[in-house]
Amino acid sequence: MAKEKNHTGDSWEDLALPEYFPEPCTEERAEEEDTEEAAKDSAVKCSPTLLRMLKAAESRWTPRDRDKAEPSELGRKVSEAEALKTNMQIQLNDQQEEFNKLPTKAGPRPLSHSVSQLSADSFSSVGSVSSEDESPPQKKPQKTSKGLTDFCVKNIKQAAFGRKGIDIAQQEMPALMILRKRAGGEKPLAGAKVVGCTHITAQTAVLIETLTALGAQCRWAACNIFSTQNAVAAALAEGGISVFAWKGESEDDFLWCIDRCVAADAWEPNLILDDGGDLTQWIYKKYPSLFKKLKGIVEESVTGIYRLYQLSKAGKLCVPAMNVNDSVTKQKFDNIYCCKESILDGLKRTTDVMFGGKQVVVCGYGEVGKGCCAALKGLGAIIYVTEVDPICALQACMDGIRVITLSEVIRHADMVITCTGNKNVVTREHFDRMRSGCIVCNMGHSNTEIDLASLRTTELKWHRVRPQVDHIIWPDGKRVVLLAEGRLLNLSCSTVPSFVLSVTAATQALALIELYNAPAGRYKQDVYLLPKKMDEYVASLHLPMFDAHVTELTDEQAQYLGISKHGPFKPNYYRY
Amino acid sequence: MSETAGDAKPEVKQASKEVKESENVAEKYSAMTVSKNSEINMGELSSVLSAVPTHKPVKKQIQFVEEKQEFSRFPTKTGRRSLSRSISQSSTDSYSSAASYTDSSDDETSPRDKTQVNSKGSSDFCVKNIKQAEFGRREIEIAEQDMSALISLRKRAQSEKPLAGAKIVGCTHITAQTAVLIETLVALGAQCRWTACNIYSTQNEVAAALAERGVAAFAWKGESEDDFWWCIDRCVNTEGWQANMILDDGGDLTHWVYKKYPNVFKKIRGIVEESVTGVHRLYQLSKAGKLCVPAMNVNDSVTKQKFDNLYCCRESILDGLKRTTDVMFGGKQVVVCGYGEVGKGCSAALKALGAVVYVTEIDPICALQACMDGFRVVKLNEVIRLVDIIITCTGNKNVVTRDQLDRMKNGCIVCNMGHSNTEIDVASLRTPELTWERVRSQVDHVIWPDGKRVILLAEGRLLNLSCSTVPTFVLSITATTQALALIELYNAPEGRYKQDVYLLPKKMDEYVASLHLATFDAHLTELTDEQAKYLGLNKNGPFKPNYYRY
Repeated sequence: MAKEKNHTGDSWEDLALPEYFPEPCTEERAEEEDTEEAAKDSAVKCSPTLLRMLKAAESRWTPRDRDKAEPSELGRKVSEAEALKTNMQIQLNDQQEEFNKLPTKAGPRPLSHSVSQLSADSFSSVGSVSSEDESPPQKKPQKTSKGLTDFCVKNIKQAAFGRKGIDIAQQEMPALMILRKRAGGEKPLAGAKVVGCTHITAQTAVLIETLTALGAQCRWAACNIFSTQNAVAAALAEGGISVFAWKGESEDDFLWCIDRCVAADAWEPNLILDDGGDLTQWIYKKYPSLFKKLKGIVEESVTGIYRLYQLSKAGKLCVPAMNVNDSVTKQKFDNIYCCKESILDGLKRTTDVMFGGKQVVVCGYGEVGKGCCAALKGLGAIIYVTEVDPICALQACMDGIRVITLSEVIRHADMVITCTGNKNVVTREHFDRMRSGCIVCNMGHSNTEIDLASLRTTELKWHRVRPQVDHIIWPDGKRVVLLAEGRLLNLSCSTVPSFVLSVTAATQALALIELYNAPAGRYKQDVYLLPKKMDEYVASLHLPMFDAHVTELTDEQAQYLGISKHGPFKPNYYRY
Repeated sequence: MSETAGDAKPEVKQASKEVKESENVAEKYSAMTVSKNSEINMGELSSVLSAVPTHKPVKKQIQFVEEKQEFSRFPTKTGRRSLSRSISQSSTDSYSSAASYTDSSDDETSPRDKTQVNSKGSSDFCVKNIKQAEFGRREIEIAEQDMSALISLRKRAQSEKPLAGAKIVGCTHITAQTAVLIETLVALGAQCRWTACNIYSTQNEVAAALAERGVAAFAWKGESEDDFWWCIDRCVNTEGWQANMILDDGGDLTHWVYKKYPNVFKKIRGIVEESVTGVHRLYQLSKAGKLCVPAMNVNDSVTKQKFDNLYCCRESILDGLKRTTDVMFGGKQVVVCGYGEVGKGCSAALKALGAVVYVTEIDPICALQACMDGFRVVKLNEVIRLVDIIITCTGNKNVVTRDQLDRMKNGCIVCNMGHSNTEIDVASLRTPELTWERVRSQVDHVIWPDGKRVILLAEGRLLNLSCSTVPTFVLSITATTQALALIELYNAPEGRYKQDVYLLPKKMDEYVASLHLATFDAHLTELTDEQAKYLGLNKNGPFKPNYYRY
């Protein structure tokens, strides 16, 4: 994981803060609180700060919880069916007492339980570990009610509770449930052996169980040492899926889990679902022979895709890979729509600022910048944009936004929002010239956009006024409000809606189906984008949420346009 | 489809990738091909109908012809004119000619039979009347003010003369805006021979001004079909001058050269094609393996697409509707058919004025976008009884059928912003029980036997072309893109472009945009060396991978 930070400088930082910003005491405290909270999140005792954090966390988690809620009837039917198969009931019987206890523990959890997990490759970790249990899960032999031992989770007894989480998630992921229903009869993944490495959360669980329902056999590991929801992992294991994951793995544990996933007796994967590229890397290093049987890799994160492209460039990629990250729907949802909402949410939560008439500088007018500007403009803020790309700058002009350089307006700005993906966009020099009370935050790709290092000097005082909110005080008394210590505001201070995660999960599932069922030769040893038709299918799976009615082409019209009645409707270069 | 290591790929390869998609493009475009003739008719019609501002000047012109001393009067006249003067000319392949009031109708001799000489003694041109040159010059100067991008291009590149030695034969609308382009090309070192791509759109005085400056222009307003081809032929077929570049709009010139002078292609370095139709023809040629020079598809460049569709339609939908119907938008229920670039523009504009907007879509991705932008996605039949305004922008045919027209409420406005005149099934309205009443130019009331009226705008033709103007700024984008495409093709090292259809390299696209930023007094941020390194980009662009969607 540490490697990856270097690669894309991606949001990983948001997770592994500890080593990352050792200097400021405030921060460390925060992190400690984080872990603490994570560890004992069931008990809502602690300090007010913790409470607030919990609340923040809650919000993050809610998406998942909502997701959990999604599975709803459809999902439930399926999961019940599965449960029957796996004798889940039996387990319940065995441990009725345990079961009864769970709710109490669980009670507060579903709230505090919201892992904010960006569908790309980041998350903020507030997990669900019952900290009493100190023995490392590797060493603990556990059994599901069915007698399965090929898994490794914190505590299999949490399964029932995890199941509830998954059920909730199912309600918010109708697309996957529709997919189960539509494709369930055919089992398009029958015979597929999927080894996966993603965040293990209720939402992912819905995905995994969808894959299972479509006929695949799955083995799963976590792509992040903090993001796993233990109860969900337990529920998956109980459901008969070989899961190797718990919250708070060590680096060693992490690789051990991956290894256990891959190196199973008499089981060789033929599909990989990866998030971050660690799994692919491991197989590539340790079990290169497995690639012979592989039908393809589906990769979700920016980092992982970067690695795949490097492999492909070096001519070392020997199976087709599917780049899910750059599919139209996912891009639009991860960036423009998601950020449009979270910029307001994040700023309100942290600062309670009023936007009307405020002068806001948005650095960068890409998808994220467009979303932020639209949202802020809607609330009556006065917006300036800084851009390096003339095309995007021209778009900003046409949208009625002044394009300037940051130094020109920095004195007047009430808020500075960075979304460039670049580094040191806001420098110490800018900071020195800001007016008092200016809010600085980052919506971009990593924590490099704001030059924080330059603020760690002796003459400046840091005051943590709330979780994720620091006042930096100049000797003359000027204060600058820094949010989330320059890390991603949308991950740290607001939630990722399940709907967004649902888009990602549906895309992944379809990518797997496509790779598995593609006739030999359609995909060579290269990195591909999801075919447009699949992209359109993902979108159409989500339309019922809006009660949207898509018009159908008549035969005559389809002929006139020269396209199929069922899509794809647009040429590949279409920009949406 | 495979996007390999996006950013790192050299431009050439990216370009070739676009070409792979050409099949799709071709398919798509086949849908849009509008026969040139029908467009012409349409233009003719609309010019007649919207001729309001043109009357006066027509007569006046006659005087100019004779009297140079009249010149001193020009400023006052042009002053007024430049207002009424807005030629709405879409940069694609349609236009509405409210132009050339300068057409001195009393002069009956065909320009072909008239020998004319410009002040420098050259007679290698053919325009209506060379004496109108001074007046045309004024027009060009006015246009120059709005096309600062080309002017700054002239300044920036004048010393290098990137087109020195280029012999460009061009076939476009001949208007003041194109004249600015042509003179820019000349300023950059090119020799130009020019003809009109449309028999009605030529501004005679502009053509004269061009001829006076030594550009061999062969064009006048109101050419016959025969004249049209004669002009093209004269352009291409000269002694001691062989073209090495083609700038085409509609593909007629390319077609002519291809048919008549195939050996000219040996010397040609490239074709720059602007219109949808022409690009479609090129893709067909390329598919058939008959394209023997590289061609540049200017039509699909990012900036041009955004301006032609999104930004232009966002303004013209309001303009067009206001001009024709004086309707008030607040609270009106509007259904926009199609949520592509045009649909997005229309919806945004109408929403901003407080209209209640519904969207119909066939493509689930666009439908989802509409949902996320806060529009209800419906089927037309579900809302047809409720809506006050229907706007089609699908590029499809028979989107609004007679059945739906029958169910509309009284006073419903129906108009088309799409690609052709097929979207509304107007033919089905030409039945005896319906009464058509023309209430204004471009506005028809169609009256049902029970007294219900439906208001049909521009007889189902493009509202933005028939009833509103195309701002010079948009034309400036197109012209700049063309100029840069020519420069790129002319200066490209051997082998960068094969015999295929290419999109303009991203860097050029970005350059077009940057030339236009000055208009907005926009200040672009520059990457520091450190930042550029971090992003793995060149400080001067291109800034985005090729698949970036903007």
